[in-house]
Amino acid sequence: MKALQVSRLTKSYGSVPILKEVSLTLDCGERVALMGPSGSGKSTLLNCIGGIDRPDGGSIQVGQVDLGALDEDGLCHLRRKTVSTVFQFFHLLPTLSVRENIEFPLHLRGVEATERLERVEKLIKEVGVESRSEAYPHELSGGEMQRVAIARALSIRPRMILADEPTGNLDSKTGEAILDLLETLSDRHETAMLMVTHSREVTRICSRVVEMRDGRLLEEDIAV
Amino acid sequence: MPAATETVDATSWLWSHIVWRHWLREWKLTIVLLLIIALGVAVFLSIRLANKAAVSGFGMFTESVSGESDFQLRPSAGLIPNRSLRDLRHRLGSLPVGLFPVVETTGVIAGDDERLVRVIGLDLVAMQNAVNYAGGISGPQSNAQREAVGPTFLNTDTLVFSGDAFSQSRGISAGDELTLLFGDREVTVEMGGILAENPNLPSIPENLVLVDLPSLQQLTDMSGVSRIEVRFPEGAFRTEVEFDASEILDAIAEENGWLLETPEQRKESVTQMSAAFRLNLTILSGLALLVGTYLIMQAMEAAVIKRRAEMAVLRSLGVTPLEIRKSWVVEGLAIGMMGSVLGVVIGFGLAQGMVGAIGRTVNTLYYETTSNAIRLELGEILFSMGFGVLASLVAVLIPARDAALTPPAQMMRRGAPGGGLLLLRQRWLGIAVILAGLASSLIPPWVIKSGPAVPIGGYMAAVFMVVGGSILIGVFFRPVSRAMRQIGGRREARSRYAASQLARPAGRHLLTAAGLAVAIGMSAAMGILVASFESTLTAWIQQILKADLYVSGGGNSSVDNRSSLAFDTWQRIEKMPGVSGVDVLRQYRFTLDGKDTVLGASDYSDDLDRTLQMVWLDAPRDTSEKNLLKLFDDKTPAWISESFSRRFAVTKGDSLTLPTPAGPKSLSITGLYADYGNEAGMLVVHRNFTRDWFSDDSITNMALYLEAGSDPEELAKTIRSTFPSLKVQTNRRLREDSLRIFHQTFAVTYALEGIAVLIAVSGLGLALAGLLIERKEELITLKSLGSTRKEIASGAMLEGLGIAVVGLIGGFLISFALGWVLIEVINPQSFGWTLTYRVPWTMFGVLALITLVTAAAVAYLVGYRNAEVKSDRED
Ligand SMILES: Nc1ncnc2c1ncn2[C@@H]1O[C@H](COP(=O)(O)OP(=O)(O)O)[C@@H](O)[C@H]1O
Ligand SMILES: [Mg+2]
Repeated sequence: MKALQVSRLTKSYGSVPILKEVSLTLDCGERVALMGPSGSGKSTLLNCIGGIDRPDGGSIQVGQVDLGALDEDGLCHLRRKTVSTVFQFFHLLPTLSVRENIEFPLHLRGVEATERLERVEKLIKEVGVESRSEAYPHELSGGEMQRVAIARALSIRPRMILADEPTGNLDSKTGEAILDLLETLSDRHETAMLMVTHSREVTRICSRVVEMRDGRLLEEDIAV
Repeated sequence: MPAATETVDATSWLWSHIVWRHWLREWKLTIVLLLIIALGVAVFLSIRLANKAAVSGFGMFTESVSGESDFQLRPSAGLIPNRSLRDLRHRLGSLPVGLFPVVETTGVIAGDDERLVRVIGLDLVAMQNAVNYAGGISGPQSNAQREAVGPTFLNTDTLVFSGDAFSQSRGISAGDELTLLFGDREVTVEMGGILAENPNLPSIPENLVLVDLPSLQQLTDMSGVSRIEVRFPEGAFRTEVEFDASEILDAIAEENGWLLETPEQRKESVTQMSAAFRLNLTILSGLALLVGTYLIMQAMEAAVIKRRAEMAVLRSLGVTPLEIRKSWVVEGLAIGMMGSVLGVVIGFGLAQGMVGAIGRTVNTLYYETTSNAIRLELGEILFSMGFGVLASLVAVLIPARDAALTPPAQMMRRGAPGGGLLLLRQRWLGIAVILAGLASSLIPPWVIKSGPAVPIGGYMAAVFMVVGGSILIGVFFRPVSRAMRQIGGRREARSRYAASQLARPAGRHLLTAAGLAVAIGMSAAMGILVASFESTLTAWIQQILKADLYVSGGGNSSVDNRSSLAFDTWQRIEKMPGVSGVDVLRQYRFTLDGKDTVLGASDYSDDLDRTLQMVWLDAPRDTSEKNLLKLFDDKTPAWISESFSRRFAVTKGDSLTLPTPAGPKSLSITGLYADYGNEAGMLVVHRNFTRDWFSDDSITNMALYLEAGSDPEELAKTIRSTFPSLKVQTNRRLREDSLRIFHQTFAVTYALEGIAVLIAVSGLGLALAGLLIERKEELITLKSLGSTRKEIASGAMLEGLGIAVVGLIGGFLISFALGWVLIEVINPQSFGWTLTYRVPWTMFGVLALITLVTAAAVAYLVGYRNAEVKSDRED
């Protein structure tokens, strides 16, 4: 089974076409880098896959679920269970502590308290924010925030993570650490990952690189 | 698979972890938000409370002064003769029914600035009741108290009693002497004691004195009583007694042409609150409602906008749109509830101040004092809280719906304009609403049985005009933006930036301009109404006030019929040197179809030019119609005022039956005239008839025409020195007085209008703050491009000015439409006065100037502050 199948996806804003018949597949646990000049539609593609934006045409299949067949609530459930997003600007919830931010998606899924606690503790350790677990987002550094965002994304054990320039706002040293973290964790949890990036360095953890140009995908294979 | 059950509802969790924490964390903003809602509720509640207190305080104490009576018997016109009282007692036989005769009149205390005093005469038992009712008496020695209720009317000094307010405002205490003027009479009385206040009852009005009934009759030469209060015994017999007695009382009332009414019925016909004044208050509470809603919506929308991105994140994590909407509803309800509670407290305080102002106006107009106690009724509290909660709810529903339905990716995109209020973008809707307004202006008024006419269609039209106008406001943004670009020139960056914002108005722009337009539209429409009133009234006064001097009894008011000039008095004045002619008028209050109105008896005759003083709406045509002296179709000819015509649905050519002490009389209406001085309406017949009907040769007031060359001031002096208790006014003084009273009527209006506009402009500031917060990224960009704080502030100022201009244009257009509805639809339907439409351009200019200056200042400050905050965060 594939983790993701996108075929002939189109999307335009007003009369400006942004995505022009984009097709893409990801295997389970596979990590793919999405590159391309800015404004080429990378974020738009990710948003459509994550169900936080609606395409105009084509189809998206996550696991066995066809997104086109889902209503708003259906998409919500998809996001609660199957697909997580890591944003360039972290987007942590400002009123929640680190622990609560990671815990929140588990709440939404109705995971029992004991198990919730267990999973959150483990994630806090895995991303290395043990000492900051009671802090609030505005007290964290950029790297710490992204670690928390990754832990939050992983908490539901998604089939797939969509990461939009996860290291774009971090210095290179922190970026490296975040990349290592993503690699380790996605390996451990067998999570597929589609990651937008501008940096060739970043592609080191990916098995494939696809390039977006003017709303179309050009696939290029790189040696890993 | 993990031990995950199906997904859960996140609403309560969102509440405790997100909403509540936001409130705590941004407690300053939360307080501001609460205060704004409270302000909206307070304005609304205070106007309602003040309005209600003013209306219900009217004559409340006097109605219940002798305790709680079950019925009142009163004549349709004139007095109930003393012998009828004995007759009544006799007819009731052994039935244990309490009968309490009451004499009520008005007078003035010498040297008391012409403040009218209501003088009520009660008999022994009723006086004791009043004392008990008030909770005791203070001041007088016990024997003086006994004297007061004993047969002491032969004393030279009669005792009067009053409440605390009376004695305090005039500095009169028990034992003091005071001179009371009744018409042309002057009597000296002694203050016998001050009645204590009973905290559970309306306070004793400050213009009320109680006197022993026979003494008062003697002092004022009245040979009857104004009314008889009827009380049934408490206890087991009550229903039986009531049944038997009612039958007898009904029969007696029927025979004598009296009215038998419950106190409630009576109150309805007594409460002659000026229709103009009531209309005024109605519009003001409407204004408060709209401005309050607008404020609350602004505040709540600002809160929603600030958390838009957070909503997007929540949704990206899998929170459903429904859960988001639910949490906003809960938040709106909670904030609305807390703000409303605060608002009730503030509103109660505001109302205390306001009722004073309204009370003063009522006092000037009617010589009636309202009971100043504002009563915080549960119903009113719930009503205004409901308003606050509902407005908060509606305010969050629209933006929350938007936040829930817009794809999260779009919401996260920084700089994207908020979805805004879609409804405000629907041109067709605005046009449809205005058309609906035009259509509803054709709906005839709804007439409550024997009550006032309610111009439902007119009010609907007014609301439609305001709402429709505020929807259409968007069309002005483009032209204003273009004008700004043109004025600023191509290179002026700030005006170009501001113009670009206005060219594509966000929902918040629209809402702000609409709110401003509503406040300005309603204020300006009130201005049109007042100006139209004023110009019509001035023209009317010019035309009718042609005599040189006007003489009336001391303390005479237009609706009172007992302060009169005796025959001898006015004859002597007429014969004074220098007087070339007089017009006299006798006024009687009477009740027709359960509504109080006024009968005027005059010596008008058709061979006098002076008759032309009347402003005719439907003039008598031939000589037979013009002659009030000769019977017309075997009926007494009569002219009626416009208000009378509307209140009793009669017009020229109709007949009606007038109750008089000499039995019912048939009248034929031969003329219809304009009278802006009397809303109860007036029916004018020749005095030759009333002399017989009322066996009365006194008059209420007289107009003197002087021979050429005589000085009115001189003659006025002569009259005053001969009859010190009379009120003598020159033509000029009377005109000034009339206009002063008129302006007093609208004093409250001006004050409240000012508040409304200020609130609307602060709303503009709030809205701009919201806009700038929303455009955070853009501001950062501007700063990084080298814009200084001042430049950003002046950009915000230009944008604020642009919104204000749009609001002003829309507001003035709304006011023209609303003014038209008020003058051409509501006014004729509710109190039947023909007014000429007049726009007060000066007031409009001042209003525009104040709005623009305040808007510019507020916008600049908001811009300045926001520019600072951003830079701090950037560093
Ligand atoms: N809500 C929107 N409205 C209009 N245009 C948009 C919107 N969202 C994205 N775009 C446009 O779509 C194009 C692709 O944007 P995006 O997917 O964010 O590019 P990338 O992530 O590759 O930089 C850009 O030109 C952008 O301006
Ligand atoms: Mg992007």
